[in-house]
Amino acid sequence: MSDNYINEPMLEIYLFETTSNIQNLESLVLRSETNSSFTQDSINEIFRILHTIKGSSSMMLYDGISSVAHSIEDLFYYIREKKDVNFEFDVLSELIFNFIDFAKVEIEKIKCGDLVDGDSTHLINDVKDFLNQLIQLNPSKEEVIIPTSNTKQQYYIQQGNKDSTSQEMINTPMNYYKTVITFEDGCEMENIRAYTIVHNLNDITQELFHFPQELFDNEESVTTIRERGFILYIKTDKHYEEMYEIVNKSMFLKELEFTQLEEESEFEWGRGCKTLETPEIKIPEIDNRVEAVVERDTGSVQSIISVNVTKLDKLMDLVGEMVIAEAMVTQNPDLKGLELENFQKASRQLRKITSELQDTVMSIRMIPMANTFNKMQRVVRDMSKKLCKEIKLEILGEETEVDKNIIEHISDPIMHLVRNAIDHGIESSEERVLSNKPKKGTVTLEAKNVGSDVLVMIKDDGRGLNKNKILQKARDHGLIWKKEDEMTDKEIYNLIFLPGFSTKEGVSEYSGRGVGMDVVLKNIDEVGGSASIESIEGVGSTITLKIPLTLAIIEGMNIKVGNARYTLPTTAIKQSFRPKESEIIIDPNGNEMIMVRGQCYPILRLHSHFGVNTKINNLSEGILIMIDQDERSICIFADGLIGHQQVVVKSLPNYIRKTNNVQGLAGCTLLGDGSISLILDIGGLINAS
Amino acid sequence: MPKVLIVDDSSFMRMAIKSVLEKNGYEIVGEAENGVMGVHMYKELKPDIVTMDITMPVMTGIDAVKSIMKYDPNAKIVMLSAMGQEDMVMESILAGAKTFIVKPLKYDYLLDIIKKLI
Repeated sequence: MSDNYINEPMLEIYLFETTSNIQNLESLVLRSETNSSFTQDSINEIFRILHTIKGSSSMMLYDGISSVAHSIEDLFYYIREKKDVNFEFDVLSELIFNFIDFAKVEIEKIKCGDLVDGDSTHLINDVKDFLNQLIQLNPSKEEVIIPTSNTKQQYYIQQGNKDSTSQEMINTPMNYYKTVITFEDGCEMENIRAYTIVHNLNDITQELFHFPQELFDNEESVTTIRERGFILYIKTDKHYEEMYEIVNKSMFLKELEFTQLEEESEFEWGRGCKTLETPEIKIPEIDNRVEAVVERDTGSVQSIISVNVTKLDKLMDLVGEMVIAEAMVTQNPDLKGLELENFQKASRQLRKITSELQDTVMSIRMIPMANTFNKMQRVVRDMSKKLCKEIKLEILGEETEVDKNIIEHISDPIMHLVRNAIDHGIESSEERVLSNKPKKGTVTLEAKNVGSDVLVMIKDDGRGLNKNKILQKARDHGLIWKKEDEMTDKEIYNLIFLPGFSTKEGVSEYSGRGVGMDVVLKNIDEVGGSASIESIEGVGSTITLKIPLTLAIIEGMNIKVGNARYTLPTTAIKQSFRPKESEIIIDPNGNEMIMVRGQCYPILRLHSHFGVNTKINNLSEGILIMIDQDERSICIFADGLIGHQQVVVKSLPNYIRKTNNVQGLAGCTLLGDGSISLILDIGGLINAS
Repeated sequence: MPKVLIVDDSSFMRMAIKSVLEKNGYEIVGEAENGVMGVHMYKELKPDIVTMDITMPVMTGIDAVKSIMKYDPNAKIVMLSAMGQEDMVMESILAGAKTFIVKPLKYDYLLDIIKKLI
């Protein structure tokens, strides 16, 4: 196949379609596993998926994937046709999972541009062995023949209905022709092509016969036609040019010899070479091969379309710019002080529409957590098998939607947390029975909307966290930052998120190396989320991830420090106030603190932190804003508040991010008057204080 | 520009065929992913040529050919089959398909066939 025809969009669609097919295949097999058997519908669906994967992979020249898919497709063809085969479900499902894993690896290679060189021979042999075993274990009188070019089928050709026309034909002069047709190399199924020609000529010829005569013993006739061409003798009233034209129109012709025979005797001679009588046909009923109806796809109007993500991103950007532009119009300094009632009304209307547009575009990018959660089924299954623990995965709230970008970032952390729960959390069946727990451990994945965040909870009913062990480990690694007896349970549990932490004695394939939890936290942090853990020893643990619905737009409070502008997410603001001198305390280290309702909070002066010049240096002349994240609160000091605004977040340009001084900055945005405001990162500021 | 309707359950195949044909001066007026939609679209769009996959869910290529030929006996349908589907190809030809091409698809063949059929 010419490589000119493989292009980027084709590769993209191939990857998209094949990845989705592999996922469906995996879900199908996982579901069938719960019953340890395949329903007829699943068998048909599996067959169809494999058939599609085989086809597109071979077109893209990924023969590894294609050949394994082909072998399993043959296997399922056998199972489908035989209908009541006895086989070991576990062995078969293992085979399919092995193929799925192989395909996933190859697809990754394709995505990275690496050589797609996976060795499929081992897999194919396993599948073939399994099939041979099946055939031996399920002997029966009828052979199930897997269609290859060796299939023998019995067909008979119907001679055209000449009788009706023979009366008129009797007096018309007849012409006799002999034609030898050679088909294009590699066009395949030459016997059927030959038949097609005969079929098309039937109505316009009085009589015809051909060699080879038997077209449906497949192998032989195909070889004969390839070697010697397809020979036809025709008797018709049509003239030379006409017949030539008609025959020449046949598809896949490489060569055509077309001669008019001078005399009828030559025609008869040709006929005499082989026996003639071709009985009436009956084409055997072929209904089993028709695919089973898949209920969910009733061919009704599609209510879902796939959209290129780049287009979506562009749309988002434009909407974001529009929000800014709208603010620049309605809050334009030129309008300051003017009485503009009609204008105000119109701009309110504009605001309303822009807001709705924004919400709608956001919702397009939202994807339900279901996909991510369902991927965990395989993880749970594999781990429970490997660790010999019985585990059930419960999923709640999977219809909760999250921005596409964010989902991509939290998929891995969730997987790691599920693995942790299974590896560290859930005890062995014996231990569980001893502690009066149900033998089967349960891991629950739940997602729900809370305010402008989504909470994702990974809960297990395992052995819970051991405070002492954690404290010991933390002590060993010098990770304790507060007096132990002053730490709340939550703070103790949250120690496990620190780098280098792991109380697991041995390192397993899955965990124990102490690089998991802090990487989880880092990923969650990157999307502006946070993680916390709750646990009751002996009962279980719950890790809660709080992630924002979307990265792109936040409710912000604009503040000023000197000539600089900053924006705080309003969700982080607890309160703001002008402090009195008397409430300020200096601690032994010289840090400023403020007393609010009996509690002490550190003060972070933004002007010193960011090195900005401002006239307002006295705490009582500016404003203190109390911000919090995860139970830690500080007060930041700024000159004053500007106002509350919905703000489009833009990430900081690379050259700024690379300098070290960006702790406390999460991005930037344009304000209504055209000035730039830096968006403050709450976590970063709290850590800095 | 001759109009082509593509009927195939694999979006990959549809794209592959579409890209080749569009590069060679054909207009793809529609894509259907099963036989039912294929028949429906044929009636609506009245293409000059149809490429039809044999194995599809809901309604197979063969049944779709029968349906379309009933509606328009002059329909020009090209079947796409895999190796080993001789009997289904036969059925399609008898049902009225003009010819067939075997997957994996050789683009030159596809172009030749369609040129000849128009």
